[in-house]
Amino acid sequence: MKHTIRQVFRSGKFLLGFIIFLALLLITIFYPLIIKDAPLAIIGRGTFFPPGIYVNVYDSIGSPQYTLMLDDAAANRIASKLSNDDRLAMRDWLVADGIPENQIDINNTKALLDQWENNYDPKKQVEGMTLAKQRYYLRLNTSLQGLLSTEGAIIAANNPQSGALEESDSVAQTDYVNIKEVPNVRVLPLGTDNFGRDVLTELVSALATSLKIGFVAGTVATLIGLVLGLLAGYVGGLMDDIIMFFTNLFTVIPGFVLLILISFSIGQEHRGAFTIAVVIGFTSWVWTTRAVRAQVISLRNRDHVNLSKLSGHSVVHIIVADILPYIASYVVMAFILQISFGILAEAGLSILGLGPKTTEVPTLGLMMKWAMIYQAQILGKWWAYLPVVVTIALITFSMNLMNTGLDQVFNPELRD
Amino acid sequence: MWARSRLTVCTLVAAVLVLGLTSGLVFGQVLERSETLYSNGQQWGPVVGWNPYSSSMNNAMAIAQQDNARVIMFETPYLYNMLDGEVYPLLADGPFTWDNARTYITFKLKAAAHWSDGTPLTAYDVAYTWDSNIKYSTNAGNNFKDYIGSIIPIDAQTVLVNAKLDANRKAINPLMVAAYLSGNYVIQKAWTQTLEARAGGDATKFLADTAEDVVYSGPYHKFFADDTKVVYVRDDNYWGQDASMWGKLPAPRYLAHTIFKDNAAGSVALAIGEVDVSQQFNSNIQVLWLNYGLPISTYLPGAPYGIGASLPTAYYNLKSPGLDQVAVRKAIAMAVDYPTIIANAMTNQSATFDQVPRSLMNPTPGEQALYDHDAVKDLQWAGNDIAGAKALLDAAGITDTDGDGWREYNGKKLSYVATAPNGWSDWQASIEVVAAAGKKIGIDITTNFPEWSVYQTVVTKSDAPLPAGYDILMMWSDGAGPTQPWGRIRHLLSSEFVGMANNWNGNWGQYSNPRVDELIQAIPSESDPATLKAAYTELVTIYLTDVPSFTLMYRPQSFHAVNESVWTGFPHQGDGTDPPVPPLNLTDGWSIAGLYNLTLVVP
Amino acid sequence: MKGYRRYFLNKALWFVVTLVCAFILNFILPRLMPGDPVAAIVTRMAVGMSNATGVQAIYQQYTELFGTNRPMLQQFFIYVNNVFHGDFGFSFSQYPREVADVIKSAIWWTICLQFPAIIVGWLIGNTLGALAAYLKKGFDKVLMPVSILVSNFPAFGMAVILMVVFGVTLKWFPASGGYGFDRIPDFSWQFIWSVIVHYQLPFWSIVLVAIGGQAIGMRSMAIYELNADYVKYSRFMGIKDRKIIGYVFRNAMLPQVTGLALSIGTMVAGALVAEIIFSYPGLGYTMLTAVMGGDYPLISATTLIITLMVLIAMFLLDIIYGFIDPRIKATQLD
Repeated sequence: MKHTIRQVFRSGKFLLGFIIFLALLLITIFYPLIIKDAPLAIIGRGTFFPPGIYVNVYDSIGSPQYTLMLDDAAANRIASKLSNDDRLAMRDWLVADGIPENQIDINNTKALLDQWENNYDPKKQVEGMTLAKQRYYLRLNTSLQGLLSTEGAIIAANNPQSGALEESDSVAQTDYVNIKEVPNVRVLPLGTDNFGRDVLTELVSALATSLKIGFVAGTVATLIGLVLGLLAGYVGGLMDDIIMFFTNLFTVIPGFVLLILISFSIGQEHRGAFTIAVVIGFTSWVWTTRAVRAQVISLRNRDHVNLSKLSGHSVVHIIVADILPYIASYVVMAFILQISFGILAEAGLSILGLGPKTTEVPTLGLMMKWAMIYQAQILGKWWAYLPVVVTIALITFSMNLMNTGLDQVFNPELRD
Repeated sequence: MWARSRLTVCTLVAAVLVLGLTSGLVFGQVLERSETLYSNGQQWGPVVGWNPYSSSMNNAMAIAQQDNARVIMFETPYLYNMLDGEVYPLLADGPFTWDNARTYITFKLKAAAHWSDGTPLTAYDVAYTWDSNIKYSTNAGNNFKDYIGSIIPIDAQTVLVNAKLDANRKAINPLMVAAYLSGNYVIQKAWTQTLEARAGGDATKFLADTAEDVVYSGPYHKFFADDTKVVYVRDDNYWGQDASMWGKLPAPRYLAHTIFKDNAAGSVALAIGEVDVSQQFNSNIQVLWLNYGLPISTYLPGAPYGIGASLPTAYYNLKSPGLDQVAVRKAIAMAVDYPTIIANAMTNQSATFDQVPRSLMNPTPGEQALYDHDAVKDLQWAGNDIAGAKALLDAAGITDTDGDGWREYNGKKLSYVATAPNGWSDWQASIEVVAAAGKKIGIDITTNFPEWSVYQTVVTKSDAPLPAGYDILMMWSDGAGPTQPWGRIRHLLSSEFVGMANNWNGNWGQYSNPRVDELIQAIPSESDPATLKAAYTELVTIYLTDVPSFTLMYRPQSFHAVNESVWTGFPHQGDGTDPPVPPLNLTDGWSIAGLYNLTLVVP
Repeated sequence: MKGYRRYFLNKALWFVVTLVCAFILNFILPRLMPGDPVAAIVTRMAVGMSNATGVQAIYQQYTELFGTNRPMLQQFFIYVNNVFHGDFGFSFSQYPREVADVIKSAIWWTICLQFPAIIVGWLIGNTLGALAAYLKKGFDKVLMPVSILVSNFPAFGMAVILMVVFGVTLKWFPASGGYGFDRIPDFSWQFIWSVIVHYQLPFWSIVLVAIGGQAIGMRSMAIYELNADYVKYSRFMGIKDRKIIGYVFRNAMLPQVTGLALSIGTMVAGALVAEIIFSYPGLGYTMLTAVMGGDYPLISATTLIITLMVLIAMFLLDIIYGFIDPRIKATQLD
């Protein structure tokens, strides 16, 4: 036993898979201890905030301000409002308006802006311009107001007595704040999702739930598969026929179809994470049963088993003492695969809308589903779905690596 | 061995492919992109049939008899314009007139109007349609049979619509009588008789007939329909090109609608230009033109992007323990974070309650002018008022007596389930926000999302108290129409629906208030603007005081987003059309005028 | 052929018994779901009706028509009788469309998508796996981890990634639909080409995942075989490698054939997701909407057809297996 374990851990593939899996598991355990926010708390008003560092603007006005004189500050400011495409678009408009092309220099910002201000009129109808383009120019025009000014901004507050706005502070274009001195800064490494929830916190919590579901589903499936396989393989005869009959039945009706039907029948109220896990387990034991049965059949005529039979040991004792240890390796591998399958099945169900309840716990499948409903992949909000896909892939990848590693240990011919 | 099996496999695959292609094929042609207008968001699932009497044909673009009726294939006498609240004649010639006692309406039909088989459209068709609606208990018949007595053809071009009169010989509901004229189709008498002969007088057969041979008067009819799309083709003999109506044919030769599986697939198609007009909820649609520079626009250039017309509402089940207390109802409604609902669930495609304070009216200027804003200003809460809600509950004596963090009433912990149908994403998101509000004020609200088929069966049964698990339920309310806001108020508050076994009208929380019923009864016959304003103001006051339900957001009548890669000239704010063309996907009510204004980007 | 008779009879018996049981299960399971779909249709039909008796009358009418007011056993026999006449009844959610009509339009797409995808995936996967086992070293070291990674991609993950990368970003392939959005089906070459082009992304999303799984399995089997005694003996005898390979792969393929039979069930799940993501017409999505709408007849019919397809496939494979595996013949003879 000890020797086997040592061999297992020496296998490169198993080790890699195990490390990845352990890392994921540790993250789910330690992250909630450090960051104590509720995973389903809505913190954003608005959808899909991009990943980054969010600094409270109100507090940064009140924080100590430092003056930095940087050469490229003005250019950066202009470039963020006026991209090269915008300049070309402005030129196109001016040309369509009748200004000769050689008089327009798109690289001379001041001249271009002057020409624009003098000539742009939203009411002018340009030939063949779509509504979308007209609105684009309107937006551009608004954003260009005061682009070249060097004045700062004025902060005004309401005077409680007179009700008028009075200047309380001013911000120059060269004022900077140190993030560390701003009291309210929030790092959102993966932004927010469509509900305004912190994706990273939600992801870790979803990972924990999905792992639990996978674990429960895997246990249920493996237990059922093990028991049925042992009975079918060892006892044989009529028991074997009956069990194989049921196995065939379950093979023929696609497990996924059964899963959908049962999930739907249970209804949303009872569809907790645990219930879903059990249901998945109940519909995916087929493969394990067959594998176990095949192994047991080849084992049951071995010498040591016959010896036990002759010694008069009971059936249960023979199964537990003589057969079980020999198929332990298969059972462990099957268990790992069942966990992986359970996680995938839950994700698939959630995408179809038949997964666990939305509001209690997040799961990986649910996060994907909401991201797709709110069309994150079309809008380019990759942080809402890509981390989820990668996490699922990592889990299953690590489990299968472990499985392959184990396979190689138990079947030396497969070692490379 | 390998080579042989590979060959057999290849031939097998090829054979299967060819066999697959031969089933369900029709000889046809390619749709020229520059002749076709593609829509999405109306048709979900394949078209079942073309029978305008039936409501289960799942033929969204051709058959929709509603306030803003869809008139591409079948037509109504008048068209309602939700932007100015007027009705414009389509099949009719000139406005309709009431007699002095408001007991009947007369209107004339256009001489140029004719059917697709060439025969003229006459008053006999209008009368026969109404008679068939009654005889076969169609939707149209059921909705109006309590208000319209009969429809008589005076002569071939003149129609007389008799209102049903009450004991005082006054029309029971003149609003509804007039609404029939802009919301229901005129169907050919001769064809109806053919259908009746086929069905042998059996109403079920009559309504189940798929009517492939139907005769229509509108500009478009069936070209092709299968599981993946439905295409309508223009009839170049359409009567509407006569000078008395539009004067020309609508611009697109084909109207096509690809059948998408879900919203996301439809949005992808809109983004890549395979859809011109989209009636889907495209979340964060502004990203498509702000970040990607795509030629996509909505009616308004900024939030709320569309014209809010209907009021999705959260209804309270007034029989739930604790929800019979006004304090509880109002407290929950006050505590909900509406800005978050609008920003997160609707992605800002709704006006906020700061811009349009809550009432019973939708944000359109027409309805907003109908009640006295100042009189109800203090009652119009803006939401997120946790302190106010807590104070309200404390004052009513509903406090946390056993220290578990939740308030009790009559010794029982206040615990509710908020529901919305599963799969309606913006509704689900809104209900989540409602549940979150409960937590902040000490009331335990959890959410549940049953399947739509289950949800609708439970909620529409109003002859018994709602079952457990349906304490706060989200449903729609009426959008824009000629009978609004009266129709909406009736559907929200009238007790006439309490006790109905099959209640698709409204008031699903089973609220009952005699004064409200009185006002609802009186308004349709009232024509004095001052009295009307007083009545509406009183209704708003009662609604905001009693809080039997509360509005969650404003929703456009239809979502309307357009992609200008092929067509341009779509309706938008300030487009100068007069009468203004509403953003209803160019198919509903007066919005069909938009089809005549379209031009190609590249001619 | 004589020796095969017992084997075939056995398999045929299994086929019939399993078919009957599956049939019964297909009938019962959907009817255990909560919610009354007839009520759903009635509520749609009776919109606006204010009197209870009118609604009640309609409800009676439809329960009569659909037969939901009879005891379950009677419903079952009526159902069996109807099925033998090819009448699957009316679809509840798409009333008045008949179930047979709904399925007829969807089934060809599913068959044309799934079966070629499964077979191609199986063929390519096994070939790659066998090559990896034979060539060892470089090819194997690359193939193994890639196969493991790809085969463990969730089906929807692969579909979404293919769509986003090839459909939306690179625009090499259309992102949705069974054929061009502007095409009307006819016999022209353009239409057929359009079908083929739209076929690519859903096809490859299923095949790629399948390849991974098959490659790993085949590789293990092939390695076992390559290390078998007879191979070593044949090599010592001087028999050419090419001849030995033929036998090796024939033996290695046997468990893969049974594996193919088992995996057809999972392929259906993969195709269902692909159909949804790519808006591809077919049975998968029909079944899902039927489930959501509580449409018993449609659910029974679709699950029955899927079950039937899987059963027939398994039966055929069992027959083929009987021919390929000489041990079967041997056991029959003793």
